[in-house]
Amino acid sequence: MQVIHDIEITTTSVLLDGKTIAVEQTGDKLLVELYRRYVGDYPKFFKMDTLSRLGFIAAELLLKSQEPMANSQQPTVDAVILANRSASIKNDTDYLATITEGNYYPSPALFVYTLPNIVTGEIAIWHHIQGETSFYILNSPEELKPIVASTLTAKHSTALVGWCECSKQDNFYAKMQLIWRN
Amino acid sequence: MVYCIGHSIISPLGEGSQANVQAVRAGRSGLKLHTDRFADVEPFCASLFDTPQEFVPLCVRSVEDALDMAVSRLPLAIGSLPETIFILSTTKGDNLDLLTPAQAIARHFGNPNPPVVVSNACTSGVCAQITAKRLLDAGMYQHAIVIGCDLQTRFIVSGFQSFKALSPEPCRPFSPDRQGLNLGEAVATAIYSNQQSAISNQPSWILEAGSIHNDANHLSAPSRTGEGAYRCLTDVMAGVTPADIDLIGVHGTGTLYNDDMETVAIERAGLQDVPKSVLKPYFGHTMGAAGIVETIIGLETLGKGTFIKMLSGFGGVNAAIRLTCK
Amino acid sequence: MEKLIEQLKAQIIEALNFEDMTPADIDTDAPLFGEGLGLDSIDALELIMLMDREYGIKLSDPKAGKAIFQSVRTMAEYIQANRTK
Repeated sequence: MQVIHDIEITTTSVLLDGKTIAVEQTGDKLLVELYRRYVGDYPKFFKMDTLSRLGFIAAELLLKSQEPMANSQQPTVDAVILANRSASIKNDTDYLATITEGNYYPSPALFVYTLPNIVTGEIAIWHHIQGETSFYILNSPEELKPIVASTLTAKHSTALVGWCECSKQDNFYAKMQLIWRN
Repeated sequence: MVYCIGHSIISPLGEGSQANVQAVRAGRSGLKLHTDRFADVEPFCASLFDTPQEFVPLCVRSVEDALDMAVSRLPLAIGSLPETIFILSTTKGDNLDLLTPAQAIARHFGNPNPPVVVSNACTSGVCAQITAKRLLDAGMYQHAIVIGCDLQTRFIVSGFQSFKALSPEPCRPFSPDRQGLNLGEAVATAIYSNQQSAISNQPSWILEAGSIHNDANHLSAPSRTGEGAYRCLTDVMAGVTPADIDLIGVHGTGTLYNDDMETVAIERAGLQDVPKSVLKPYFGHTMGAAGIVETIIGLETLGKGTFIKMLSGFGGVNAAIRLTCK
Repeated sequence: MEKLIEQLKAQIIEALNFEDMTPADIDTDAPLFGEGLGLDSIDALELIMLMDREYGIKLSDPKAGKAIFQSVRTMAEYIQANRTK
């Protein structure tokens, strides 16, 4: 398995292929800053929950925002395989706030994000990936490795994989990679 | 090869795969109108357990039931083996916690491996079986205990109602005046093994192929061209022809767009003449359990032959598997 | 009516997370769906919820929304005629 690109996003820092990307904001505002710098023309970003914003931005940096790879085109992504520990709990909590007794107005815009795999769907729509999208809930990023290894075949050979976690407001962590099975 | 060596369904229609198959054969439905189950929600039609169930004990009961069938073919209880992996398919888990119940189930059976939870919206139950097949094919484990479970809550019902997606009457999938959808509760377990010895030379269902594809179109509306579902069907049809397929278990929620999309995908894949089955009018949409419940009913009603199970879900994801028993 | 229109624009911006928009950016008579604000089906459901929460209007048939959600003006007119709070 070969790592083509690697990204780590914390609430205060961004590391792409081991190099720091300077940022001014922290927490949820950091993701908005990255959106404005690297995307800017996709207002649906603002409808996304934090988990989706995080995965969306990480995928964008992995796939688009860097120097073109020498003598080669950007690879076609065959699969998006992400995992975390807390599923969609941050957004689930936000949705719960719209159905309190005595103030019951369930929000469809929040309910749609009460599934962790929605982030993989957001990435697939934006990058037009019609391959596999899968989401796993695991105890640690290590546990995703055998799953990814058994998913990638000669047919599915390039994948966006990794850890994409958001447990509460202003608290998230992504460690994702673009990998290739050679 | 990956063999299905045991299974179980526990639903409002009955306890155990056989009881559920008989209920379906007898035309019994778990769907009822519920007016006071949860505060604030509008009346909704769903298949719910009479007494509210607890997630972990319910799953444990289903695994024990499936193991009863499997251990008659194996020398010892496989739940505790390091060669066995537990895989849980669920969308909302035990009150929105997905991993803790999976860990509790694995611990109950003395299994030493960290469990895997598959949460891929309505397709989770089919995706979890695909994950099992991959891990067993790769030789990482010998047995996989795949559990699908979701229990209905005020959270889920209110959300689907905010989507205007729930029908107050029993669903009528693929009908000219179709209605849908209805939610449901169930737990189902399928035990898979890559050990030839586990089937002791009896005819057994083999999980031959599985495929997952995204429409890359919309989060909550299916693709008009059935792109993802079509690709899944094409993948699982590799090496066989439409004449080899005895039955396709469709998703069939009864919503306008889902049933349209499935029809388009099936026709594009050249499978329009294959018999189809749809089980939502009996069980409702059991979410994380649906892929496993509907696979087991498909296998048991066919007895032998070749069966395809397909599902689609939020996030634009589609999945299909093909099983054969000769 | 003008006051209701302004208030409604602010509520739409908030409910639909139009981050970079102010009420002045929304044309009162422009279509909300399609080429106008470009709203989608989930936005339509969110607007149905907004009418319930802010104005006590329950719309059970989403198809009825089509005529109401033509523009901010048609929406305001419907609210004025049907509001219960």
